[in-house]
Amino acid sequence: MESWQHVQVHICRILGIQLIFLVGFGFCMSSSFVSCEVGRCTSNVGSTNQSLNIPPYFEKYITKSYFDKYDSLLDSDFLDFISHELFPGSCELLLDNLNLVLRLSVQQRSLIGDGSHRHLSSSFRFNIQSELIAELPIHFCEAIIIEKLPYGIFADPFELQHLLQRGVFMDAAVFGDTNLELPSVHSNRSLVEVHMDVDLNTFSRHKDGLEINIDLPLHIRYPPLEESGYSSIELGAPDLFMRCSIEAKSHNQSCLLMLKDNGVALGNGPVVWRVPSGIKAHARAVSIVTFISAILSTLSIVLTSVYYSSTKLCKNLKQS
Amino acid sequence: MDVRSLLLFSALLRVLLIIYGEWQDAHMEVRYTDVDYLVFSDAASLMASGKSPYQRSTYRYSPLLAFLLVPNSIIHPSWGKFLFSASDLLVGLFIHTILELRKVPENLCTCALMVWLFNPFTFSIGTRGNCEPIVCAMILWIIICLMNGKVLQAAFWYGLVVHFRIYPIIYSIPIILVLDPHCFQYGLKPALSSWVGQGNSTQSIPSTAVPDSCGIWIAWTSMFTRARIMFGLISGAVFFAFTGLFFYLYRWEFLHEALLYHLTRTDPRHNFSIYFYHIYLHYEHEFSVVERLISFLPQFLIQLVLIICFAQDLPFCFFAQTVAFVAFNKVITAQYFVWFFCLLPLILPWSNMKLKWTGLSCILLWMGAQTHWLMWGYLLEFKGKNVFLELWIASILFLAANTFVLIKIIRYHTFSPLFQRLEFSSSDNDLGEGKKSN
Repeated sequence: MESWQHVQVHICRILGIQLIFLVGFGFCMSSSFVSCEVGRCTSNVGSTNQSLNIPPYFEKYITKSYFDKYDSLLDSDFLDFISHELFPGSCELLLDNLNLVLRLSVQQRSLIGDGSHRHLSSSFRFNIQSELIAELPIHFCEAIIIEKLPYGIFADPFELQHLLQRGVFMDAAVFGDTNLELPSVHSNRSLVEVHMDVDLNTFSRHKDGLEINIDLPLHIRYPPLEESGYSSIELGAPDLFMRCSIEAKSHNQSCLLMLKDNGVALGNGPVVWRVPSGIKAHARAVSIVTFISAILSTLSIVLTSVYYSSTKLCKNLKQS
Repeated sequence: MDVRSLLLFSALLRVLLIIYGEWQDAHMEVRYTDVDYLVFSDAASLMASGKSPYQRSTYRYSPLLAFLLVPNSIIHPSWGKFLFSASDLLVGLFIHTILELRKVPENLCTCALMVWLFNPFTFSIGTRGNCEPIVCAMILWIIICLMNGKVLQAAFWYGLVVHFRIYPIIYSIPIILVLDPHCFQYGLKPALSSWVGQGNSTQSIPSTAVPDSCGIWIAWTSMFTRARIMFGLISGAVFFAFTGLFFYLYRWEFLHEALLYHLTRTDPRHNFSIYFYHIYLHYEHEFSVVERLISFLPQFLIQLVLIICFAQDLPFCFFAQTVAFVAFNKVITAQYFVWFFCLLPLILPWSNMKLKWTGLSCILLWMGAQTHWLMWGYLLEFKGKNVFLELWIASILFLAANTFVLIKIIRYHTFSPLFQRLEFSSSDNDLGEGKKSN
């Protein structure tokens, strides 16, 4: 009974101490806890349109509606989506003007790091005709970078959330197959949409033009088996957009511009990720040795248990 | 150093680690906090806003865990870490209680307690936000309840812990066996066998004094005692009540993520298990029933033999079963080691193994095998080298190390049943050493 009372007193003490530390700690810490999850924040971009049929370019994430319509990411379907659903034509005049003032001149892409966790570093430079940009009724612009990830490569939405909290991106979302655990064989493609804040007026004064740099953490899935022991995965070029909020007569409006590369090649060639893969030739030997090892270990433990429990039992009986 | 000072010092250490962890998370690229903690927190946040915790991908636990962490969103995100660290300290307290009940000398109790409290693996796991200390605390509490004759309480907590984390189901048969009517009378406090010095078995004849095969026969024929029936009914009812409640609330998503996933889990990604490469090489086609049975057979056989041989020495049986369960599992992650680390201090006072040099060799071999595996794992995952074969061989060596260590522990252990045989007089009311319990 005494032990019970001691246990209860000790439990109360420990919980009390922990609670005091926690309350004190909570008062001392001043950082707020961001509950906004990647891709789940309420949209407040531009229009106050409450209609259920919001055009994709008005949505917070312009590619969200693609996945509302299609089950998986296919390049041909995505091209159709861009051509027919992202550009309704209501901002032709502005878009034509933006096309004149903003031209993509350089893009560089590279994979940084080794192994299964790397960073895709992308750099885009735009030439700007600063004398024209001041004439456009632009409120605010954001660059939207769409990375269509190939099979076998994925982005962790929760890691992106951490980057958002640190202010690395303005916004980011992952769509498509976000299961982080499946190998390539049983997974589908995914897509990352990243938003970066762009102040065209500030950049118009910079002689080198507008530069956007993105560092996106990516991870590899276990690839299909290969004879050589390595699998090569090529990352295609991203789709770049500029979405600007413009002043119109009655309300502000959002316009979306696709920034084409104008035939500018990637600065250092296509990005290829070489990842180790299992070798099919190992299959039989690995299975046999695995099960033999399991059996040998099992027998060792079983025989030891039986032998020593019998020995100890006999010893006990003799002592009694 | 007395127990109180040890616990206070350990509590302070854990608080400092939690504070440091918060600083590291905010200022460094590599987080101190376990990825799983972020999963729990997100699930708790969803639950707090009235949604299903299973909307958080990779949340594969009981909703109870998310419920426990709801204060993460209300009080502070570190609430969970404090809760897990408090459980960690409770485990230490329970270890001391169990050893004290078995009359282990105070110096040995303190040493055993320090093995848990100052194990770097142990104090980092709770402070990083891993929930395993809660499970360990519940299992040790179940042992304490049994030692105090509180079968209903033990049954309640057992049903709850199996709902929370499925693996304690392996303890069901030893618990049923240890509720031997010759040692355990329902409603009475059982007589515990005391520690009598290393190398000596207890003076009383264990309830399996007749050869093991007869002990099992007696156990089988007297299986349906009141204590056993009550334990089975209550623990089963608690398990199904919680499972039923959460199925009602969250439907198949709960059942799949919290239960079925763990029962059918095969992960092709590299982990300590010897099966990982075999699974990856065959992942493109489904495993046949025969293949699944063959991989399950070693696990089943070992559990059966360990139970038959050591059930009466309950803490030791739990320990040996857990080591074997982890070693032969299809997926092994480092957090599983806590499951047997919390039981190790309970068996140390009954071990004849000397630290020099058998003990040290076991520690170094186990850690060496693990480090060897980690080296190949690092080359594969962070350097992109094709070392699958080497990594798989390292996992086999790790199994060999686990086997060696377990064999040594069995070899040097002094078998000591948890309960003594009750002395019965001709009168039904006179139960000798048995005492009434609540």
